[in-house]
Amino acid sequence: MEAIAKSFKKKFRKVDWRIYVIFLPGILYVSTFTFYPLIKMMVMSFFDWRIGYQQVSTFVGLENYIKVISDPIARMAIVNTLAYAVITVPMQMIIGLFIAVLIHGIRRFTVSFRLAYYLPVITSWVVVALLFRYIYSNAGLLNYFLVDQIGIIKEPIGWLSTRWPALFAAMLLGIWKGVGWNMIIFLAALQAVPKVYYEAASIMGLNKRQQFFRVTLPSIRGTVIFAFIMLCIGAFNTYTPIAVLTAGNPAHQTEVVLTWMYYQTFSTSGKVGYAAALSVLVTIMIVTITVFTFIVSSKRRGK
Amino acid sequence: MKNKKRRTLQVYFKSEHNIDLSKVIRYVVLTAGLLFTIVPMGYMLISSLKDNDKIFSYPPKLFPKLAELSTGNYSYILLNENFFRYLLNTLFVATMTVLIAAFLSSMLAYSFARLKIPGKKIIFGMIISVMLVPGLAAIIPQFELAVKFGLHNSLWGVILFYSAWVIPFSTFLLKGYIEDNIPIELEEATYIDGGSVFSIYRYVILPLASPAIAAVSILNFLFPFEELGWSQAILKTDEIRTMPVAITMFFQAHNRTDWGYVFAMTVLSMVPVVIFYLMLQKYFVTGLSSGATKG
Repeated sequence: MEAIAKSFKKKFRKVDWRIYVIFLPGILYVSTFTFYPLIKMMVMSFFDWRIGYQQVSTFVGLENYIKVISDPIARMAIVNTLAYAVITVPMQMIIGLFIAVLIHGIRRFTVSFRLAYYLPVITSWVVVALLFRYIYSNAGLLNYFLVDQIGIIKEPIGWLSTRWPALFAAMLLGIWKGVGWNMIIFLAALQAVPKVYYEAASIMGLNKRQQFFRVTLPSIRGTVIFAFIMLCIGAFNTYTPIAVLTAGNPAHQTEVVLTWMYYQTFSTSGKVGYAAALSVLVTIMIVTITVFTFIVSSKRRGK
Repeated sequence: MKNKKRRTLQVYFKSEHNIDLSKVIRYVVLTAGLLFTIVPMGYMLISSLKDNDKIFSYPPKLFPKLAELSTGNYSYILLNENFFRYLLNTLFVATMTVLIAAFLSSMLAYSFARLKIPGKKIIFGMIISVMLVPGLAAIIPQFELAVKFGLHNSLWGVILFYSAWVIPFSTFLLKGYIEDNIPIELEEATYIDGGSVFSIYRYVILPLASPAIAAVSILNFLFPFEELGWSQAILKTDEIRTMPVAITMFFQAHNRTDWGYVFAMTVLSMVPVVIFYLMLQKYFVTGLSSGATKG
């Protein structure tokens, strides 16, 4: 069999040009619209970049990076983004997995439950962010519940008008919207776990909780890692919810990295080189997290 | 028969709890959890049916009287706004993005999965690592590029960059699908019958990978209904705006208070997406899970 495959591959070497007709369009496309801009962005981050005719961009070395790191707003944006990731990523995964386990154990209405929990995922970010902005408003639904129905607080909270309550509100929205996605992929992973494993586990006398930790979790760890990385990327990609909920206000205290970069790019007082340096820094952060996740997960597998 | 089934089930759930009780608890918890998704959505729907002057009346009512509701906001949006224009724009962008991405990423995925190309592993690695870069990260050079090609303030400026944006993930999913599900013997057979790579791509890869192509296309189709940052930068004229930009602009133009109009618009904008999802539900799961188990 392998011999056939080998000769098959060998023969194909003769028809080189056809292979490239299949391969090159996509490569050229991605190079033009993605690789080239990304490389240029890296170059820009070392320049005091000017846009427009007869503008001279000067090489400034690491100055943009130093500016970003020493800028309190940029640091606040980075801290906000990290806080958003640290809270929303595990919460989405835990709640999503919990719901998936519940749905996995029932027979009827599974489609309806899946559909209902997935509804926030297919609803666009702009729509849900506007909806939550309304719910978080001073005379909105959340304050009404907390003050008049449950009575935990006396005065309505201005959720979106100070830093941490606003970030908390954004995180809550992020979790609310993301749970359904986690539920769907964890459900698919749970369905792929062979039933024999559970039979063996129950013969060994493991109770349900033990079965979950010793059978279910190890069996779906590939999906857990995938979800973790995708959600981290998503958390660092957060733009729309903040842009719609607070637009970085008050006084840029609720900026996340991308909203602050967007502001630097398009506002009149912004600096393009600075924004590019910020982009490079976010990318480095995500790459670090991903590589770290892979190293940790492959070490665990080694044991 | 029934007894036998029950006995095997008891082997599965060898716990002190009665099976039925644990199921009841599951249903109760799931239904209670639904409140968190349904209440905000229902609140949006109800608010969209209230007049703008009543919308901030305190306390907010989850269940208003029927007499308080009207469809006035909807007729305002449908009659006075370019709503259908925005919808058509978004559908056009979505369709073109899906076509370009499906065409290019299926060819790329086939190349990476099966063709002998020097350095393809490195190139594949580069394309995959693009997934790690935030979509808006290269917005400045991309914007310059769009201006250079005359694509700014045009739907094509959105389409071409969206396609490039979604190609890495689509390629990643399709490559995995082709490797796992399409037997190489079929390609060999086509080759022995005198077919070229073109006919293998056209008559083996495309038809057999179509479930995966459908799955990524659904994800790609929803992208233009979602994305705001890039489209907001590119689309400056009202009549070419896509839905997310139009909604944001409408919200800002109405002084951030006419929530009735805003919610009528958001509810309407959800209709096509929800119909689309209901029709193609099973492919969603295929698409998401094939990526998940590969990872």
